[in-house]
Amino acid sequence: MNFFEYARVALESLRANRLRSALTMLGVIIGVAAVILLVSLGEGTKKYVEEQFAGLGSNILIVTPGKIETKGGPPVIGAAKHKLTLSDSYVLEKKGYLFGGVAPVVFGTAEVRSGSRSRNVPVLGVTPSFSHVRNLHVEIGSFVSESDVEAKRRVCVLGRTVKRELFGNANALGQMVKVSGGRFRVVGIMQSKGVSLGIDLDDIVFVPVRSAQDLFDTDALLEIILSVRNKNDIDSAKELARSILFKNHNRHEDFTITNQAAMLSSLYTILDTMTYVLGGIATISLLVGGIGIMNIMLVTVKERTNEIGIRKAVGARDRDILLQFLLESTALSSSGGIGGMLIGVLGAWGIRLLVPKLPVEVPSWAIVLAFTFSVFVGIFFGVFPARKAAALHPIEALRYE
Amino acid sequence: MESAPATEPLLRLRGVTKIYQPDGQEVTGLEDVNLDIQSGDFLAVMGPSGSGKSTLMNILGCLDIPSSGTYEIKGMPVSRLSPEELARLRNREIGFVFQVFHLLPRYTALRNVELPLLYAGVGREERAQRALSALRAVGLEDRRNHLSNQLSGGQKQKVAIARALVNRPSLLLADEPTGNLDSKSGEELMEILARLNGEGTTIVVVTHDPAIARRAKRVVYIIDGRLVAREEFRELRG
Repeated sequence: MNFFEYARVALESLRANRLRSALTMLGVIIGVAAVILLVSLGEGTKKYVEEQFAGLGSNILIVTPGKIETKGGPPVIGAAKHKLTLSDSYVLEKKGYLFGGVAPVVFGTAEVRSGSRSRNVPVLGVTPSFSHVRNLHVEIGSFVSESDVEAKRRVCVLGRTVKRELFGNANALGQMVKVSGGRFRVVGIMQSKGVSLGIDLDDIVFVPVRSAQDLFDTDALLEIILSVRNKNDIDSAKELARSILFKNHNRHEDFTITNQAAMLSSLYTILDTMTYVLGGIATISLLVGGIGIMNIMLVTVKERTNEIGIRKAVGARDRDILLQFLLESTALSSSGGIGGMLIGVLGAWGIRLLVPKLPVEVPSWAIVLAFTFSVFVGIFFGVFPARKAAALHPIEALRYE
Repeated sequence: MESAPATEPLLRLRGVTKIYQPDGQEVTGLEDVNLDIQSGDFLAVMGPSGSGKSTLMNILGCLDIPSSGTYEIKGMPVSRLSPEELARLRNREIGFVFQVFHLLPRYTALRNVELPLLYAGVGREERAQRALSALRAVGLEDRRNHLSNQLSGGQKQKVAIARALVNRPSLLLADEPTGNLDSKSGEELMEILARLNGEGTTIVVVTHDPAIARRAKRVVYIIDGRLVAREEFRELRG
């Protein structure tokens, strides 16, 4: 038994049939490259989504008006409020002992003007707690304060982009801007945050929530964001918010409470499943490559029947022959595996260059898995031809021309 | 056998019968063969084609086992051995020389000769060294790096002899070794076999050529799977 000698024989035989070996390997190369590429794409997508949601926090509940349900008759007039108001926000703040912050949000879009420059931007009416609940902070000046809200002060905090568009490099703090015609004093500039969920967080103007209600002439809130003090309490916090609002809404559940973390985790589950499905489909092509190996090994065994007979006549045991042909099929599949790995990794790198937004990254487990599987495919599909070779009767094999 | 051997024979066949069943139909290859071969013997087995020569050769070479009867090498009964042990016997005790050479075409002469040593588990350097000295013994040392399909018929058969001898077997089995050679190469080959026998190698040659058989020390005749006396052979052959 001389393992290295057999490996040498296997490699020699592959080299003797270069084109055939290369074509057979191609099946495995494509399979392994496909596994690596598709899994990388799946992982990249997941990472992209994760980045988009980063900073949202896993301890966030969002209350939105209206109930997503189909049952029930027409609403009793005057019974349901069907909207969220600051009263909801106050009652949540007063009774919600599990909440770290309660942030009511009023939303509108308005023209913001400074001198001759103007820009149409989303305007968010917020309270001070918005800043830490959403993890958005001022860079210069200060955020909307409690007294700004109480006094309905006409102050605003500008996002980075808004500031740059209206003021350029000039100082904006203390300057007056016109929001929908009303004069607001700039008290702060936000840190740059980039785009999240398709919203440019730098292209927003923040004003005190009551001022926004005046500005847009409404008492309705877009949403109330709740941060939960302890992550583990998120379910009981949700229940607490529900019962508080239920009471405040005359025993009508005309609002919806969404758990960000739960939504995210189900999204991740979907993305993971997608990755596995893609990997699984690619694995099928690897199996097809394996069948190609089996096919060509059967041809090889047939062609080399005489060689097998000679080897047996001079003393090769069945398992020597078995090992020789098994090594040959494994050499085919593992060289194909290495080729596929290179192509897969290069391909992932190429996608990264072409689509920089998608953080495609080859997970090391995918490389290990794809390579191991390709070796396994070579062994699995090589066993049948190798056993066939080993089982040849020496006399028959010698007689075969 | 007319004279009882004084010592234990190298090979002993008793009532060896081989029956083939290629498609359900029984074909008798050998029938009740009794034969002793002493160490150092040079035996020729003569017979027409289809007479059972090759069957006898396959059994002697442990490529096949008898259907009934016993075959012993150095007192070891072959019919009870596993395929694994048979392979080991072929490797250690027997060297083959075939009519059609049976060299591996993509291998050099040297690597062809190394082959039995590979399966004997001999290390790389010793393999090359022993193969080289075996090639030297048949006068082909200078052809060691030629691919076997670049060699002439006579050279191929010499390489085959070197391969058969490299593991120092008890027995050299040659099946029509000159069948594919011109008469000059054939003559040369028989010289080598005679010389090897002179050096102590036990040789069995299967042939239908009386000129080859004449070189042997002893001749047995086979017809229809049975060993027959020379007179009966002449009679049957006409």
